[in-house]
Amino acid sequence: MVNVEDLRKEAQRILREGKVKYVIGYEKDQNGLLPKPAFIEEPEDVARLIWNPTCVHNLTKFLVDEKKRKALEKKPDNRPVGIVVKGCDSRAIVVLLQEKYIEREDVHILGMSCERNGVIDEKKLAKKLKGQNAENVEIDEDGNFVVTSANKTIKFQAEELLAERCLECPANYPVIYDLLLGEKAKKKAAEPFKSLGKMESLSEEERWAFWTEQLSKCIRCYACRSACPMCYCDECVVDTINFAVTADTTASEKAGKIKWVEKSPVPSENFVYHMVRAMHLAGRCIDCGECERVCPLDIPLRFLNKKLEKEAKELFGYDAGFDPNKPSLVSSFKDEDPEDFIR
Amino acid sequence: MAEKFEPRIVAFLCKWCSSAGSDLAGVSRMQYPPNVIPITVMCSGSVSPLYIFDAFNKGADGVLVSGCHPGDCHYIKGNYYARRRIALVKELLEFIGLEQKRFRMSWVSAAEGTKYTQIISDFVEDLKPLGPQTKLRRKI
Repeated sequence: MVNVEDLRKEAQRILREGKVKYVIGYEKDQNGLLPKPAFIEEPEDVARLIWNPTCVHNLTKFLVDEKKRKALEKKPDNRPVGIVVKGCDSRAIVVLLQEKYIEREDVHILGMSCERNGVIDEKKLAKKLKGQNAENVEIDEDGNFVVTSANKTIKFQAEELLAERCLECPANYPVIYDLLLGEKAKKKAAEPFKSLGKMESLSEEERWAFWTEQLSKCIRCYACRSACPMCYCDECVVDTINFAVTADTTASEKAGKIKWVEKSPVPSENFVYHMVRAMHLAGRCIDCGECERVCPLDIPLRFLNKKLEKEAKELFGYDAGFDPNKPSLVSSFKDEDPEDFIR
Repeated sequence: MAEKFEPRIVAFLCKWCSSAGSDLAGVSRMQYPPNVIPITVMCSGSVSPLYIFDAFNKGADGVLVSGCHPGDCHYIKGNYYARRRIALVKELLEFIGLEQKRFRMSWVSAAEGTKYTQIISDFVEDLKPLGPQTKLRRKI
């Protein structure tokens, strides 16, 4: 079992010794069940840190923000940032390291093992509680979830409440860390791509109907892009602005400002946007599920990324986010890569 | 009488092999369907997935990406990168439900004018029964 006191102690130590600028973790939010991100700068504040199965967020996005902020500072504080990560989040850090976006010295990783469990799916819990508000979720010794709601405690089997991605998690412990809490309990998912099976059994037309229905809902709020730790480009390809072409516009200006995708949230453009995003995340997505969680219209975005994750695994034997020294999926190749689809 | 459907194919041909291959087909006066719009790129490895999505978005009925045979790339390994990337694009397009036959990749060397004409004729034949591509076409 992970003891949150150990986490607090370590956070306090690194803050007191001045090893880190601040520690990013989870703290209790007054509104609702899910915690909110905590930025702890003073060693006295570490008591705010919490750790329980409601810590669903992927905090590594803040490392990206930190880097962008640091680039603008005149005299940046180059000390590392402490960050609390789960298994999936640690893989996001590995991908950022692999792409040399951040350096290993930039982060002090406080790894939390999910042990035999994972995090909850808020929507599944809401359905189970039928409108009642949960106040707290804990894990008991047997790995079941104990939910406190309106002075009642209800016990749920882990599978009932676990987020879909946790059921398919390839490694629910941090793969890179400075401190590891909890044991490295290996729980290989029996069917890592189970949720895709239903989609793949559909016919072409049914799949098209499904995605048309789903992606037509998209309002292009770009919440998926904002929450994704892998979407760190300074300028996104879909953000090309409208600009007036005059006689003075040079060819290079025009070439640099191609409007690939219209901004209007119409199905045809949404398809291009989401396909481009899926392609850009191929071999990089570590399935933290943030895109799907933050989507205000509940588009099952995880499917797209999961599909490419599966193909990367099956066609090229590539697992995202395990080795920071390995070249990325699309910047490497093997002689024996399949080419039976090529004439 | 309704006009017969003639598919429009956007072909991304690499400058060093496939483009020269199509040129050979041309100068040798080989007959092949005029449905293809060739776009010469420097290497099949430089074809971004976005080009492909955009071609469909702008109304292409089929998209062909063609490059040098493995081992023959002018840039040594560009077509190996392309092979990986295009495999993923193909899977993704199939997954969202676009007809499988609308997107393909081929290796055409500078000497394979005949193969190029064959690929284009086959592609046109495959596309004709499918009708116009309306799924990804821009509708605003």
